[in-house]
Amino acid sequence: MNIFLYLDKDTWIHRLDPRTKMIGVVMIFCICLCFNHPLYMAAISVGILLIAISAKALLNFWRLRFILFLLIAFSTVTWPFFAKGPTPLWSLGSLHASQESLLYGIAMGLRLATFVGTGLIFLSTTRNEELTNGLIRMGCPYSIAFALSTALRLVPTFAGAGATIIQAQVSRGLDLETGNIFSRVSKFIPQAVPLFIYAIRHTNLLAMALESKGFSPESKRTFYYEPRMRVIDYLVLAFLTAIFAILLYARVGLHLGVVIPGRL
Amino acid sequence: MSLAISIEELTFTYQGAERAALRNIRGQIEEGTFVAVMGHGGAGKSTLCCSLNSLVPRFFRGEYQGRVLIKGEEVAQHQVAEMSRHVGFVFQDFEAQLFSTNVELEMAFGPENHCLPREEIGRRIERYLRFTGLENLRNREPSSLSGGQKQRLAIGSVLALEPKVLVMDEPTTDLDPLGRQEVLSVSKSIQEEGRVLLIVDHEPETAVTADQVWLIRDGQLVSKGAPSEILADVAAMESCGIRTLPTVELFHSLNWPGTPLTVEAAIEIIENHHLAQRVGSKVKTAPSGYLRGFPVLKAEELRYIYPTHRVEALRGVDLNIYEGEFIAILGQNGSGKTTLVKHFNGLLKPTCGRIMVQNKSSTEYTHRELARLVGYVFQNPDHQIFARTVADEVGFGLKMRGETPKMIGKRVAETLEVVGLQGYEQKVPFALTKGERQRVAVASVLAAQPRVIILDEPTTGLDYRHQRNMMEMLRRLNQIGHTIIIITHSMWVAAEYAARTIVMKDGGILSDGPTRAVFGDEARLAEASLCPPSLVRLSNWLGMEGLTVEQMVKELKTG
Repeated sequence: MNIFLYLDKDTWIHRLDPRTKMIGVVMIFCICLCFNHPLYMAAISVGILLIAISAKALLNFWRLRFILFLLIAFSTVTWPFFAKGPTPLWSLGSLHASQESLLYGIAMGLRLATFVGTGLIFLSTTRNEELTNGLIRMGCPYSIAFALSTALRLVPTFAGAGATIIQAQVSRGLDLETGNIFSRVSKFIPQAVPLFIYAIRHTNLLAMALESKGFSPESKRTFYYEPRMRVIDYLVLAFLTAIFAILLYARVGLHLGVVIPGRL
Repeated sequence: MSLAISIEELTFTYQGAERAALRNIRGQIEEGTFVAVMGHGGAGKSTLCCSLNSLVPRFFRGEYQGRVLIKGEEVAQHQVAEMSRHVGFVFQDFEAQLFSTNVELEMAFGPENHCLPREEIGRRIERYLRFTGLENLRNREPSSLSGGQKQRLAIGSVLALEPKVLVMDEPTTDLDPLGRQEVLSVSKSIQEEGRVLLIVDHEPETAVTADQVWLIRDGQLVSKGAPSEILADVAAMESCGIRTLPTVELFHSLNWPGTPLTVEAAIEIIENHHLAQRVGSKVKTAPSGYLRGFPVLKAEELRYIYPTHRVEALRGVDLNIYEGEFIAILGQNGSGKTTLVKHFNGLLKPTCGRIMVQNKSSTEYTHRELARLVGYVFQNPDHQIFARTVADEVGFGLKMRGETPKMIGKRVAETLEVVGLQGYEQKVPFALTKGERQRVAVASVLAAQPRVIILDEPTTGLDYRHQRNMMEMLRRLNQIGHTIIIITHSMWVAAEYAARTIVMKDGGILSDGPTRAVFGDEARLAEASLCPPSLVRLSNWLGMEGLTVEQMVKELKTG
């Protein structure tokens, strides 16, 4: 079962320094927070989609299409009842939705999907080792960087084991198709216990294997793939900073791209 | 030659354990020696391996006496990471020891930890990729490799540290026959390079090419010596719970001269001493005593495509399985064995074609009904054991079906008796041995009294005694009327126990028939990169019918 997100391609985004990519992700998050008008937000989303195309990461967008779609749909349906706008659209009892709040909901959905999409591009183009390396060079202690990337690394492994465990339990009569919420919770135990034990065994063995190959979290090490900040990295960071500055001015100075003022 | 390893009166007791895992081990290994360590499960083989790179006592704590010296340095005084300069360690579980996101980085991991300069790391990667034959896979994700490739990568990633001693703890146990060959050929080149190689393995065939064989029983080193001496000692091997070489056993039982370790040696002795006549005619392929009648499972033009990979795992399989058969399915990993049998209990639905279970299409059953008819025991018992007592574990399926506690108790007791675990009801399943846990897993499927029981590699990871017990138990179940289907990589298991053997290759059936006939056609088996067990090869050469030592002895004495 292959549920790793990294796609081994050779694009300009893959070649960026992991630090550039990490800072870039944070800046794109900030850019997403600038507007709450769906049209403006959509423009940013399209921009991210274009980046995804040039990073050849669309496959992962396709794999997670349901999640992305759900985020937009869920947000569009629920936000209108929480945000308040001047033009009433529809109301039922104490529930009110306005034209502005509906637009706001769409914008929020796009924003969430763009967040996820940005993260997806990052994970599709950055190796686990590069992530560790980037974190360390940004001043993160090695043990923490290593723990973080190991956690990411083990998710697919455990997901695979989980799938096998479910099959094994279903084969001897565990019925996951019927039952109310309470009986379903009790059915969780036969799945969770073996997975938990598997995880302990697996990490224990991994620790042994890593130590046997000379790993120790305190000592220095070399990195075989040593990414460097190159001209393009500085260009990308400068470009993102410029965009952010312009958009921030558009929002704060010119009051553009706002359906509900006073909200992010 | 100088001494590479020296073990002096080593005794080790794990924290909280009552019995010592190793007792007064004494041994010396010279440079460039290949040592095969053998013994029953729990004999202390792994503990011995771990004591060589200081996992014992640094990682596993306990009471440690004696000394282990590697190149004159005392192991226990060093951290595991420091010992990695001298001792490489390859584990049985190749999934857990691979960690990086591509093959090249996996190789680089050890040298990176040792702060080698990047140019040197690059050189070592090249060198050991070539050594392990992985140079064309350098950018692959390790999880996408086959089992044999993964284990080769694990070996290569350890070799990249250029240790003088390489320890491999059951490196081939989880592999298919092809992967096993790959790993063994890599270890042969390691031996030629002049490193010390210490391998733990259950198969006596591995030990034939060793310089020294060590037999361990209950934590004690009972004997060591050249393979020709140790492997020929049937009594010592049996007392340590190791399978004897069948050629040796055959010659022993017939009082023939010599102790041939290989088929070739056996043939030579037979020819030189005119011990037996080769029968010119080919093996009879008539289906003698072959069960027919009611097909309990039937596959028709079965095709399956995995949705995530878009690979056709089954390409039109037609198969009838009759009530009361004992079937072994052989084939390399990825040949479609597991995909096929998962259709029988409805875990997978055919992409094309259909599966008939008792003359009714499998799609007409609910999952539960199918699980009652066709039980499926997964390879790793730890994937399903969760309950606090063996009784809860075995009764789980019945409880899910809503049976009364009284009925469950009765059935659990019956089932435990069948699998030879009577009186185990209140024991904690996690605390049992691997062989016992495997039986608990079988019992938990058996409790639903399915007509067909499918077992995925029931003997993998068990030592010889437990393998025998397991297979004898399956034979008993077969005799009381259950249809048994096993997937196995163990050729002798198939040869001794299965009446019918199916060989799969590339999602199709390569050959299917009585086990004797399937094993008689060595050319056909070779197409699936399989080789019959050595005894069957000898039997084929002689033109005999026998598949086991007893059968052959009988045949040779009467004929």
